[in-house]
Amino acid sequence: MKKRFMSLLLSAAVMATGVLTGCGSDSGESDANTNNNASNSSAQQSSDNNAGTGGSGETVNMVLWGAEEDQDLLKNLVEKFEAAYPDQKFNIQIGVESESTAMDTILTDVEAAADVFAFASDQLPQLVNAGALANLNEVGEALSLAGKTLDDVKSANMDTAVEAATLNDTLYAFPMAGDNSYFMYYDSSVVSEKDVENWDSLLKAAKKGGKKVGMTLASGWYAASFFYGAGFTTALNEDSTTSIDWNGTSADGYKGTDVVKAMLKISGDPAFLAFADGQSSNVLTSGDVCAVISGTWDAVTAQKVFGDNYAAVKLPTYTIGKKQVQMAPAYGYKFMGVNAYSENAGWATLLADFLTNEESQVERFQKRAIGPTNKNALAMDEISNNEAIMAVTSQAEFGVLQMVGGKYWDPVKTLGEVIAQGGLSESDEAGIQKALDTLVEGVTAPVN
Amino acid sequence: MTDQTNVMPEKEGFFSGFGKALVKGDLFVKLSLIWWGAGYIRRKQYVKAFIMTALEVAVILFTVGFAMKYVPKFSTLGTVKAEKVFNMQTMKSEFNDYDHSFKILLFSLISFVVWITAVVVCIVNVKNVYRLQLMEENGVHINTFKEDLISYKEEKFYITLLTLPVLGVVVFTLIPILLLIFVAFTNYDQQHMPPSSLFTWVGFSNFLSLFGGGGLTVTFGYAFVRVLGWTLVWAFFSTVTTYIGGILLSLLLNSKKTRVPKLWRTLFMVTIAVPQFVSLLLVRNFFANNGIVNSICDGIGLTGFLRDIGMISTTYIPFLSAPGWAHVMIILINIWIGVPYQMLIATGVLLNLPADQLESARVDGAKPFQIFVKITMPYMLFVTGPALITDFVKNINNFNVIYLLTQDVYVTTNQAMANSQAKEVDLLVTWLFRLTQEYYNYKMASAIGIIVFIICSVFTLIAFNYMIKGDKEGTYQ
Repeated sequence: MKKRFMSLLLSAAVMATGVLTGCGSDSGESDANTNNNASNSSAQQSSDNNAGTGGSGETVNMVLWGAEEDQDLLKNLVEKFEAAYPDQKFNIQIGVESESTAMDTILTDVEAAADVFAFASDQLPQLVNAGALANLNEVGEALSLAGKTLDDVKSANMDTAVEAATLNDTLYAFPMAGDNSYFMYYDSSVVSEKDVENWDSLLKAAKKGGKKVGMTLASGWYAASFFYGAGFTTALNEDSTTSIDWNGTSADGYKGTDVVKAMLKISGDPAFLAFADGQSSNVLTSGDVCAVISGTWDAVTAQKVFGDNYAAVKLPTYTIGKKQVQMAPAYGYKFMGVNAYSENAGWATLLADFLTNEESQVERFQKRAIGPTNKNALAMDEISNNEAIMAVTSQAEFGVLQMVGGKYWDPVKTLGEVIAQGGLSESDEAGIQKALDTLVEGVTAPVN
Repeated sequence: MTDQTNVMPEKEGFFSGFGKALVKGDLFVKLSLIWWGAGYIRRKQYVKAFIMTALEVAVILFTVGFAMKYVPKFSTLGTVKAEKVFNMQTMKSEFNDYDHSFKILLFSLISFVVWITAVVVCIVNVKNVYRLQLMEENGVHINTFKEDLISYKEEKFYITLLTLPVLGVVVFTLIPILLLIFVAFTNYDQQHMPPSSLFTWVGFSNFLSLFGGGGLTVTFGYAFVRVLGWTLVWAFFSTVTTYIGGILLSLLLNSKKTRVPKLWRTLFMVTIAVPQFVSLLLVRNFFANNGIVNSICDGIGLTGFLRDIGMISTTYIPFLSAPGWAHVMIILINIWIGVPYQMLIATGVLLNLPADQLESARVDGAKPFQIFVKITMPYMLFVTGPALITDFVKNINNFNVIYLLTQDVYVTTNQAMANSQAKEVDLLVTWLFRLTQEYYNYKMASAIGIIVFIICSVFTLIAFNYMIKGDKEGTYQ
């Protein structure tokens, strides 16, 4: 149950008893910090006046969090980072923290979290809101030690990625990977390149081949692609609430109810298979599907299952009335962030930048097959020949950067599940409208 | 030493004894109120005097050096927000001396506990030195420090034994629970997370919104009632089914007609040997919408049949993904998980069934069912009644089974529930877990936690009172 909360309390209690027995010897972290700073600056001013060479006498302690699969890569990159600053002694610990859960762990206790951490872009607003991410405009000055400025970082990466890492005109994280989205894997022996262009022909071809087309509907990440495609939007407000217009009419002139009807038509097709979030590789290996909507994390599985007929392509279009609407995926990135409460904010910034620069991104692709955000890296032959990464980056132009608050996920997930189960009738206009109204009410509810 | 008790009458209120000691005590006893060691000095108990003085100094140092940094801010929980400036020279961010609401809350609470303890120690101390005065006046032998120490190994050994557990209870149970209660009266949530923001007191508004008094989403009260309802239904059925199942199973295994009972018993124990989360996650995958059980059901035509008679509308059987289905499945799976434990307990109890009663019943021609209803069950209920209540309370908080079976699998189709981040299969604890874990809504989680605590304690008190009341023990025979 409230295990983590309790353990937090307990550790706090234990810590407090430590303080008790020490009889007020520890005067709280903030004081300790300032003391530290004071002694450092005096020590440093004498030894280090030319910032170009960097390095004070004392060891810089830092903690870095990254995904479990990235550990070897990070270790390697950290060694290179240390070698780049031979005058400075480092003690950099690497910990395991998945990008998708980084926020949960960090927000539990920001002051105890890592100095530098990898996280998924959808967590950025909440991390910024909680004051967990360092404002890079403030600490970006430190990049001068690496001989560059914050603007160099911005211009080196895809514009959409930089935009995703920016909130209120402030850059909060370094773009690291650009393939956090979904597209379609298919078996070209069952469905042709022409079939995958739209849902109607895709489902027809799948039915003919006795296979199914799989997609997760019960998820605010996947289900949104239908709405985003029709010109609907979501937005994050300053007070962390979410704006959503799905119960109205979109800029493209489509009604929200039309989108739901189109989704119901697809989900009601016998050749369509709705599966739960996270089940994509199970679905692939079951052999029942000829096409599945998923991300680069399934590339290896899909290649194994489809063999020579493996292919990857952008999302299909779907039909509203007589028009074809291109599905627009929620497009996400992976970032490296600097903890706002890091004791060595400057060095942490340098480390985060180093881990996301061109060379590191190329190495990340070579070792882990993760798509880069760096423009030069993307232009390299070996990357532009990768089918999955190209499928995903080809969508960046119409993909939608999903900025939403915490209240967005459950209501949309539920609507997706209702549609997946056929809980609404295509002809029940009023029922669909009511469902959308309820959805909007839940999503826009005040936070907490 | 044995005379000690005679000098000071035992039956005296805590405070009235203190008052009497203050009034009737000599100067040094009165002085003990300010200087804890004074009374001992007068009676030449220098070691104790030193210890008490040191303790007092420690409390004063704690108060001045630690508590006063936090307690004065307790009424507001802090006002200074964190601000920082980056210093290129040091490569560090320099922070102002900001307030941390959670630390203020926690450390104030600890200070209160320390101070209350100090007051109690002070009162007991005054009473002790007054007793020493009386002993001296009556010419009774006063223990030396060494003799006192020895007494903690001899007649006062219980104090020595209990000190550590009591300390443990205070540090690990009392303080966290008090903290939980305090948090329920603050606005500690995602919008007010230390260290970057501050939170403050909000009175009863969390409880108001829990019961639909506005503020929060309109559906929160709606969800709360439903979650609470399922929590109680679940606790009742999961307790009763595993209890009865365990007894029946152990009766079956104990029956003389059962062959190789040891083999069967071992087989049933295997479910205990495998860690629960492993078996639960496996079962969850078995019964997933496209899991193996569904494939089989589809293969033998059960899915089609159920669809024909209108039981399901999907292409799979939603064992763990639709309300009703999931509720029943969870209770069934829990039987499989829980019965072996109850079987173990029941086996032990059944071995002690009064053989003479069984014998005479048989002689009188009672049928096995009659024996079960009239002798076995009353005896079992009598012996395991308290354990049954504990089980019920445990099941109210049975996080594992519910969370592991439904997380990532069960998606509610009830939009009103979804708008409050709840599901039909949530227990109060799992809901509470997701509120804290995924939505950082600590204030509501604390409020729900208090409600769960009240429900559990009320139920336990009533049930225990009923079962262990007075002569119950006599009536069974």
